[in-house]
Amino acid sequence: MKQLFYKELKLCLPLQVPLFFLFAAMLFIPAYPYLVACFFTCNSIYYMFNQSVGNNDLLFTALLPVPKEQVVKARVRFTVAIQMVMFLLLVPMIFVNHKLVPQGNPAGTDGSLTFLAAALVLFTVFNAVFIPAFYRDETKSGKNFLVSTIAVFVWIILWEGFMITSAAAQAQVPFFRWVAENLDAFPATAGAWRIQLIALAAGALIYGLGTFLVSRKAVRIFEQVDL
Amino acid sequence: MHLLEVRELEKRYPTFTLDKVSFSLEPGYIMGFIGRNGAGKTTTMKAMLNLIHRDGGEVFVNGKSFFENERACKGEIGFVMGEFDCYRNATLKTITDVTRRFYPDWDETAYKKYLDRFALVEEKKVKELSAGMRVKYALALALSHNARLLILDEPTSGLDPVSRDDLLDVFRDLIEDGSRSILFSTHIISDLEKCADYITYIKGGKILASTDVISFRESYRLVSGDREHLEVRRPKLIGCKEHAFGFTGLIRAEDEAAFQSCKIAPADLESIMIYTEQEDSHETAVL
Repeated sequence: MKQLFYKELKLCLPLQVPLFFLFAAMLFIPAYPYLVACFFTCNSIYYMFNQSVGNNDLLFTALLPVPKEQVVKARVRFTVAIQMVMFLLLVPMIFVNHKLVPQGNPAGTDGSLTFLAAALVLFTVFNAVFIPAFYRDETKSGKNFLVSTIAVFVWIILWEGFMITSAAAQAQVPFFRWVAENLDAFPATAGAWRIQLIALAAGALIYGLGTFLVSRKAVRIFEQVDL
Repeated sequence: MHLLEVRELEKRYPTFTLDKVSFSLEPGYIMGFIGRNGAGKTTTMKAMLNLIHRDGGEVFVNGKSFFENERACKGEIGFVMGEFDCYRNATLKTITDVTRRFYPDWDETAYKKYLDRFALVEEKKVKELSAGMRVKYALALALSHNARLLILDEPTSGLDPVSRDDLLDVFRDLIEDGSRSILFSTHIISDLEKCADYITYIKGGKILASTDVISFRESYRLVSGDREHLEVRRPKLIGCKEHAFGFTGLIRAEDEAAFQSCKIAPADLESIMIYTEQEDSHETAVL
């Protein structure tokens, strides 16, 4: 696996991946749907997969002395590594966002632990739609990316829409007030911290379990594929 | 013990079936894998290496089941599929740096030797190499990790005659110590005449013959004669070409007696292949 990771770094990593980490800085923007920043990471991952098609990477890797399943597992783990770098970059960004936009984000979710959880769910949605489809037919990576983009934006719209609604209706609906105070804001109280940590743990669980199942499914598909 | 044993390998496509392909190769020999385009050579090689999903059969490398010991078996195999066509924007140096990490037995001295022999420059990018040079780079990678078994799909295609001859010398050198073997497919039959010890002949997904080159050649004869000799003897001909003065055809050696009035000559590999492929109606009677 160490050698496969090295191969991913040296031969498969496109410039877009490190470059698109800069989109973490979107949390500096006072009014913006911040989850979109995570979509750009998915976009850079698509570039990596798509570039691999042109590079005949699957064939090259499958010919190396590794079992066929490791070809998929290594790529999924490398994808997770990229997403985790973005995730770790977003952690300090929520504190910066809190300082820069103390009044809250009118265009969607605020920088918070809940936002980080939503980012993990976004990555899970992307992985679940894009990765198995890629291994089913790598030549259709453009179409697969389009489908996964739609899925990701459905999640973004649902999440950001929910947060906007909560902020707008908090005066009228107690549930939305609870959401606005405890989930959609940088945690101000010990109770809010506790709730958001639970939300983050739930997001991490969804991401961990989801990506594990995605990897298993992609391996199963790739075993049947003719290179 | 066989270095390579392929046992009843099957792959079914809607329009093509690899039909229980079986053959074996001992250490210290070169086997040519021949057949027309679409006969199943590449499909066989890919199925052997788990690059395509097989529908049945087994492959053993040095006595170990390939599919149960994929990592170990791949480590003992050097595989070349024509020209190297991966990572076109990467330099050979970068690709080699990645590749060698997968092989504990990587031989840097051998690699440098092949770079020199093939006149490859490591600082060049893949896209800057000609087709022939890409084949040579693929071969340099395959030959540099002390693989005991080399599986080469059309390794000499795209090479000039001098490079081809040089490569065949490399093949002979490699098997000299008796521990390595080479299976290579080619359309250039003259290459096989120069270096192959064994021939495996595939037609329409079925193995027609897998034997040593001498026995293979000696089991056929080329015959030529007048038109008047043709009609009565046609059923015994595997394939034939008619011309203004008569005919030339291929027969099995045991049918030689029936052609005493004709001119009989030893058959060469190319003629055997051409005449065998010519007459589909005789397919089942070939060997």
